[in-house]
Amino acid sequence: MFRKILIANRGEIAVRIIRACRDLNISPIAVYSEVDAASLHVCMADEAYCIGPPPSAESYLNIPRIIDVAGKANAEAIHPGYGFLAENSAFARAVAEAGLVFIGPTAEAIEIMGSKTSARRAALEAGAPVVPGTTDALKDFAEARATAARLGYPVMLKAAAGGGGKGMRQVAAESELRSAFEAAQSEAESAFGSSEVYLEKVVERPRHIEIQIFADQFGNCIHLGERECSIQRRHQKVIEECPSPINDAGLRQRMGEAAIRIAQAVNYVGAGTVEFLFSHATREFYFLEMNTRLQVEHPVTELVTGFDLVREQINVAAGGELSFKQSDVRWQGHAIECRVYAEDPGNDFLPSPGRISFLRVPAGPGIRDDGGVIEGDEVSIYYDPMISKLAAWGRTRTEAVDRLRRALDEYAVGGIKTTLPFFREIVRDEEFIAGRLDTGFIPRFNERCRERGHSANDTQASRLQADIAIIAAAVAYDQSQRQSTNHQPRQVSKWKTAGRASTMNRTLQKPAPQFKE
Amino acid sequence: MKLHTKVGDYEGDVDIRIEGSRVFAALNDRRYEINLQRSVDNRLLLVAAGRVFDCRVDGNIESGSPFDVSVGTQRYAITLTDPRRLRSATAAGTLTGGVARVTAPMPGKIVRVLVAAGAQVEAGDGIIVVEAMKMQNEMKSPRAGKVVTVKVDVGATVNGGDVLAVIE
Repeated sequence: MFRKILIANRGEIAVRIIRACRDLNISPIAVYSEVDAASLHVCMADEAYCIGPPPSAESYLNIPRIIDVAGKANAEAIHPGYGFLAENSAFARAVAEAGLVFIGPTAEAIEIMGSKTSARRAALEAGAPVVPGTTDALKDFAEARATAARLGYPVMLKAAAGGGGKGMRQVAAESELRSAFEAAQSEAESAFGSSEVYLEKVVERPRHIEIQIFADQFGNCIHLGERECSIQRRHQKVIEECPSPINDAGLRQRMGEAAIRIAQAVNYVGAGTVEFLFSHATREFYFLEMNTRLQVEHPVTELVTGFDLVREQINVAAGGELSFKQSDVRWQGHAIECRVYAEDPGNDFLPSPGRISFLRVPAGPGIRDDGGVIEGDEVSIYYDPMISKLAAWGRTRTEAVDRLRRALDEYAVGGIKTTLPFFREIVRDEEFIAGRLDTGFIPRFNERCRERGHSANDTQASRLQADIAIIAAAVAYDQSQRQSTNHQPRQVSKWKTAGRASTMNRTLQKPAPQFKE
Repeated sequence: MKLHTKVGDYEGDVDIRIEGSRVFAALNDRRYEINLQRSVDNRLLLVAAGRVFDCRVDGNIESGSPFDVSVGTQRYAITLTDPRRLRSATAAGTLTGGVARVTAPMPGKIVRVLVAAGAQVEAGDGIIVVEAMKMQNEMKSPRAGKVVTVKVDVGATVNGGDVLAVIE
């Protein structure tokens, strides 16, 4: 086993990996940018080294600097976390060339899965279903038009090198195709440095379901079931659960086997996730992409299966055999996770950087919070504004939702705006409670909120609460006024002071008044 | 202490008196007697008739600019206006180019108009007296210049933000 691991990341995932290191008696080494010098992941590490200024490109993406630090600190392995360098094959290669272990798959596997078109080819070769579409980048508009006509509208244009919704355009009819094609190309060019786009048929009202897989260097490959990630905003997940509310053992097995075949096709090692679209209408699933890293939402799988995925990653990277077989995997209960972002839900989810003036993290039965900040920390503008992941486990989905609702209400963050109020509404939404989820959930949820907002206003209870808020404000104001008069010397003009002093001197110098008879 | 308050669409007066840990409050015709059980680091624990309200204040507590108050999970953006602070607030005035506007900082009634259109004024000269919450406040000119218009008459009722006079 390793003695020292360098963690090439920050925030909650760096903290998560440090915890796994501690469990295994491995010494964790942190790296940080100049703004992160006093952040939680640095506090929790044994050693910490500054790797550059705040912008990611100069610090957390600085490959030579990170490898240099790892060598000097005598680290034996590097864990990339997620994001930053986690799916950068050049980094995986550079780590190996420096004689260190990259905790993740091979550079070759990262490369194949990093391009959506080569990933589709790999999935097709593995016999997995893919969304009908092209496996190669489109040569020109004529090819795009012919392909779209063959697939039937609506179709989706996607960047071959894409992710995060960039370079993606849904096209409803041929008349929209040309402008969408050109827009997707230029967006792909500016975001990923490659203008290659391809076409897929649109799966209507799909669920986004992904399978967690795990493989070791001895050819063992198992799956840990699915995660439902249909609740997305701007193509980014905000709530994930395990299992999917569909909870169909037969479907899980079929998807799990397809995911394993895809992983084996690229000789995958370590933790990986195979994403599928699931069509309600046909109950078919289609390969979407494979993420060659630990996912943000891994805790829900951990809560339901009982395995520690980061510990297992380290074990496999150190040359160990998987510590469990497929037949050992059991799914118990239900887990749901919310990504708590420093964003303002009242203002189109704009980032809300600032100092966290107050923080109360929920606890109690079934609650797990993977946080990366403490009270007093500054949420900077340089990085992803996720401050924590709140997950709840229960024996049933209902119990998990109950616990999540309780924990969300307990959670209190001051000084910045967060997505907590948004989640508090979602866990009370009847469609969410019923588990009727698809990728169009949030627009429909927002519509329901608008309707509710009009009907349920100004009840007696809400009037009382608003009055209490006003009284609290008035009390705080009153106290701030008293404090400023008690503790701070009043600002008195120096002229006035001098004037008073001279008056007093005159008074003192004047002879005492004499009483006249 | 008497304050004017604005929360979303709601506007009204609040009168509070603090005696030790007791808070007596009147909001228009609604009266409350509340226990202030803790007040540390902008966190206030209020208990009213046995009901618990865990409150938190975020932002700079100032007269005239909004700050956030959370009660449980509910967040309110509250603007308090302290009539005793009006003078300094209006002294700043609102400047747009070479024109200065004298505005009403809160709802009230015009009790005196001290200048007429065309008059020459100095910075700090009284322009209009507004009565709000039974206190009279003299709105002063933020700059020297000529009074272009006086937009209100004695006895008029004005809302917070209304332009009362323009000085050029």
